[in-house]
Order: sequence, then C-alpha cells, then structure tokens
Amino acid sequence: MNGIIEISGIEKEYRMGKITVPALRGIDLTIMQGEFVAIMGPSGSGKSTLMHILGCLDTPTSGDYFLDGEKISAMKKSKLAAIRNSKIGFVFQTFNLLPHLNVQKNVELPLMYSGVSPRKRAARAREVLSDVGLGDRLRHKPSELSGGQRQRVAIARALVNNPAIIFADEPTGNLDSVSGSDILTIFSNLHAKGHTIVMVTHDSAVATRASTRVNIVDGLIG
Amino acid sequence: MAISIKESIVAGVTDFWSRKIRSAVTILGILLGTMSIIVVLSLVNGIYSTTTAWMTERGGLTKIAIDNNREYDNAQNLPEYFTLQEIELIKSLIPEATAVNPQMSSWLSMSYRDKKENGLLMGVYPDYALVEEWTADRGRFINDFDVNQSADVVVIGTKIRDELFGSKNPLGQFITINDRRLQVIGIMEHKFLKNNGIGNANALGWMNRRALIPLSTMIHKGTGQDHIEELTVKAASPEEAIDLKYKLEAILLNLRAGQPVFRIESNMEQAEEMQKNFQTMRIIIFFISLVSLFVAGIVISNIMLATVQERTREIGIRLAVGARRTDIFIQIVVQTIIIFIIGGFIGVVVGLSLLSVVSGYLGQPIIAARWVIITAVASTLCVGAITGIFPALKACNLDPIKALHYE
Repeated sequence: MNGIIEISGIEKEYRMGKITVPALRGIDLTIMQGEFVAIMGPSGSGKSTLMHILGCLDTPTSGDYFLDGEKISAMKKSKLAAIRNSKIGFVFQTFNLLPHLNVQKNVELPLMYSGVSPRKRAARAREVLSDVGLGDRLRHKPSELSGGQRQRVAIARALVNNPAIIFADEPTGNLDSVSGSDILTIFSNLHAKGHTIVMVTHDSAVATRASTRVNIVDGLIG
Repeated sequence: MAISIKESIVAGVTDFWSRKIRSAVTILGILLGTMSIIVVLSLVNGIYSTTTAWMTERGGLTKIAIDNNREYDNAQNLPEYFTLQEIELIKSLIPEATAVNPQMSSWLSMSYRDKKENGLLMGVYPDYALVEEWTADRGRFINDFDVNQSADVVVIGTKIRDELFGSKNPLGQFITINDRRLQVIGIMEHKFLKNNGIGNANALGWMNRRALIPLSTMIHKGTGQDHIEELTVKAASPEEAIDLKYKLEAILLNLRAGQPVFRIESNMEQAEEMQKNFQTMRIIIFFISLVSLFVAGIVISNIMLATVQERTREIGIRLAVGARRTDIFIQIVVQTIIIFIIGGFIGVVVGLSLLSVVSGYLGQPIIAARWVIITAVASTLCVGAITGIFPALKACNLDPIKALHYE
C-alpha cells in the first residue's frame, strides 16, 4: 500500500555566506491516506523546514518526495504553486488571513487561483464556513473575530479546495486553551471523516490527538 | 488554472479604494502629465492653424510677392521699381502664371463732402482680385476697360465706406483723393481674421482701409511716372508656386545686371518653413511632457515598491494558497495600470475642459485633435506599464516562506 506522502533521503542545507547549515539530514517518512500525524521536536530541530518541504513551499537539497503519486522534488516553481493550490491546505499559527478581505473572500482565495467561477466560489466558501461553525460571520473582517474564530476561518480556507492533505503549523500556538481545544476537536473530526492531517507542534498534549507521532531531533527522525 | 485579468482588476480596484490618499496623489501626477500633453500640443496646433488661416486670407499658398530688397545695398543705383514695359516683358515670360498684378500704393487722405479719412490708395490691375483672392461684393471690381481708359473709378474697402458714407449707399458717388474726383464703382468684401491675442481686434483690419484704382489712372493722372514698386503673381498650384518663384528670380536678376535688387517671397515656401518649425516645436513639447509623465511614473513606481514591501506577507499568503508568480505579477501590473487609466482619463477630461476655457479667453476655438488625445493616452499607458513592471517583478520573486514570516 502506497502512502499519500513518501519521502526518502530528504536533506536540506541553508547557505549563510560561506557556512552551510544542515537543517534536515536524510529523512525517510511515509504518511498513509487518512492518517493524523504530529511532527514534534524542539525549536531548531528542523520540523518547520520539513513541513515547508512537505507543503511544497520549499524544495529539498537532495532526496525524493512523492505526494499523491507525483514526484514533487523535481518540479518547477510554477508547478509547485498548482500543487499547493489543488492538493494542499495550510493552517498557520498566526492565521495568515488577509485583513482587508472579509471572511468569505478569505476562504474563496484558493478557489480564485484555481479558476473557479465567482458564484461557485461563494457557494463553496459558505458551505465550508458553516461546517466550521462560522456560517453567520461571512461578511466580518478578520479583525472583528476572536483568535479561535480566525483559526476556524483559516481551517475553512484550507479545506475549501478539497485538498489531499492538510498541514497545520502550531495551529493552537496563538490561542487560549479553550479555543485551542475547540480547534483540535475540529481537526479530530476532520480526521474521523477521513482527511489526512500533518500537524507540527512542540506541545505533547496537542500531539496526543494525533494517530501517529514523529519526533525530529537535529534534522533526523529520532 | 490562473487568476483572470478581471479578478486582477477587481483586486486592483479594491486595493485602490483602500488607499485613498495615496491613490489620489499618484493620480494627480498622472493627470497633470496627460493634461499637459493635450493642452500644449493643442495650443501649438491652434497657433499653427491660425497662421495658416492668415496665409489663406492673404492670397493663399499660390501667391508670390515681389518688392524691393531692403537688405541689398544698391551702390550702383539700379532702379528698385518696374516700368510698365518691364511688367509686360515679365508677364510674357511667365505664361504659366494664372494672374499677374503690378501695383503702386500711397497713403493718402480721402474725402467725401465734409468727411475725411486716411487710407491706402493702390493702383492695380484687374488681376489684383485673383492674386489676393479678394474682390468687390457690391458693385464691381476694376476691369480691363478701366485700365485702358485710365478711368476715374475707385473700389473702396469697408472701413473707408463706413467713415465716409456711414449708412449711405456709396455706389455712384464721387470721392476726392489728391484733388481728383473718383467715382465709387464697388465695395470690397469685408476682411476679417480674429486676432490671436487679446480682445476682438481684426488682424486684417488694415486691408479694409484700401482704395483701389486702375494702375494706369494712378500713373497717368497721379505721379506721372511708371515706378511700380510691387508685383504679385499667382501660380496654378502651391507646388508650381515654388518653381515659378525660382523662374522669377532668374528673370529679375537678368533685368537688373545680376543684382538682387528685388525680394521674392512665396507663401508656399513660407508655409513649408513654418510647417517644419511647428513640427520641431511639437516634438520638443511632446518630449518635455513625456519626461514629466515619466517623473510621475518613477514616483508611482516607488510608491508601488513600498506597497509591495508592505504587502509582503499578503503576497506570501497568496503564494501559499496557490497563486503562481505570474498571478502576482499580473495583479501588481494591473494595479499600476488601473491608476494610470484613471489618472489618464481624468487628465483627458481636465485637459479638454482647460482647452475650452483657454479657447474662450482667446476668443477662438482650440480643438484637441484625435491624434493628440490618442498620443496622450497611449504615452500615459506605456509609462504606466513600464513603471509597473519593476515593483511587480519584485513582488513575484518573493520567497513564500520568508514572505509568510515577514513582520
């Protein structure tokens, strides 16, 4: 059985002037369809770098990466943008919503870049927003929402394109414990519905929600 | 799978509205650039057409005028006038000319009963009407019979008629010039050309002060000498006017021992010279306006760069959710162009309104030709596209990870 994500021998080096800093030193990992994986590790361990590569925001220095059967490690940037758009949904610690767009428009954004008509976009955005319990906040600006609500908008945006996989980078890091717990419940429900989720966290309490835990230490799986 | 131009325009307009003051200032810059191209080019055209209208009123492009050359130092005391015999000789040498008019003139006092008025008395041939494209609109002009008979007849300009006769009909009346009684046989058409300046002055008012009599009358019953100072000739076409001018130059040099005693001027040649000068002027002015437009463009480019800087994180988010670099590039270029389109449009409107105000002040219509408007709009959009490219390149080359973490 093939995984939705298969990586082997992934290395990533950063050049800082004449010094080369290794961030990932040969990572092999397979994530199966429907899995909820928590990537854990202290800061500086390379977990964020791994997620950027898995999320197609960055490319590895060496190694192979297959996502949903497609070889990502050899792709051009324009192709990576299309992959991000169609196969990946991101949820960030700092929400990363566009402040001048209302909730619905924020959620519509990925659909705009995949060429969906405005009417279909609006309908789909409303659908996902009511799924995360924000059906009555469509016209609000992000600044008019609480942190937990903002993160739910971000989850709706990540889901709107029916992605193969959802990446969440410390999704509860900026939230109080109640809101954080709500958000984790949403992720658990999505997992129960069959979504594949990869979450980066340094909080082991958060990681208990996941079905699989991966620890990264000094650029290697520990 | 990409964002459409329409989406980019919507995004651009939204962004434009959310930064009202900045947008207003940039628009002002573009507006002034576009406006100045339209206004200045149209004013140059206006002056050009007024000057051409003046030339047409003064006999058109086929007219050639000969008088004595004031720059020539006549040490040999060669005659600076033509005799009747010479006129006939010249006339026989240029059969291609459609009209030949020798003329003498003198500034004199003219009187009717107790009224007096100063005017220019001119002795002419019937061809005068053809050369000047100006004839009597009441009564008749001088004919060959008048010349043969040295008849005591006069055709007067409207100014002289008004001063001497008021509302009375002058035809058939006698006016006295230099103690000689001349019968009024015609009134010349009123000459009028709006002065290209202040007020309602008539630039051709002096022509309405002319009184025309047969040349023979002037010679035989006036001065007694056939010293003809001026000769005007009409060619069949503006092109032929230049050839005819060169031919006349040769004839006149032959008549005066190879000396440039006479000056020959062709309206056509002057018009061509003028055309060249105006073309140079247009080009210079266009470039000055273009430079000012570019200065506005650089300022806008700078502002857009600052905008890109401010929106680094937004661009990172857009890239993360699947925007391609071309999408970002198009979005920024389109935003810049939108500013230029709005600025250019207002510039055209303001420019045209300003022209109508200037027209009202000068008392003559100055109309922006279609090519002037097209030139202004096209150069505005070109500058917009060129200055939009640089910030757009910067935006689309941002690293998504760094952009996402930009504070």
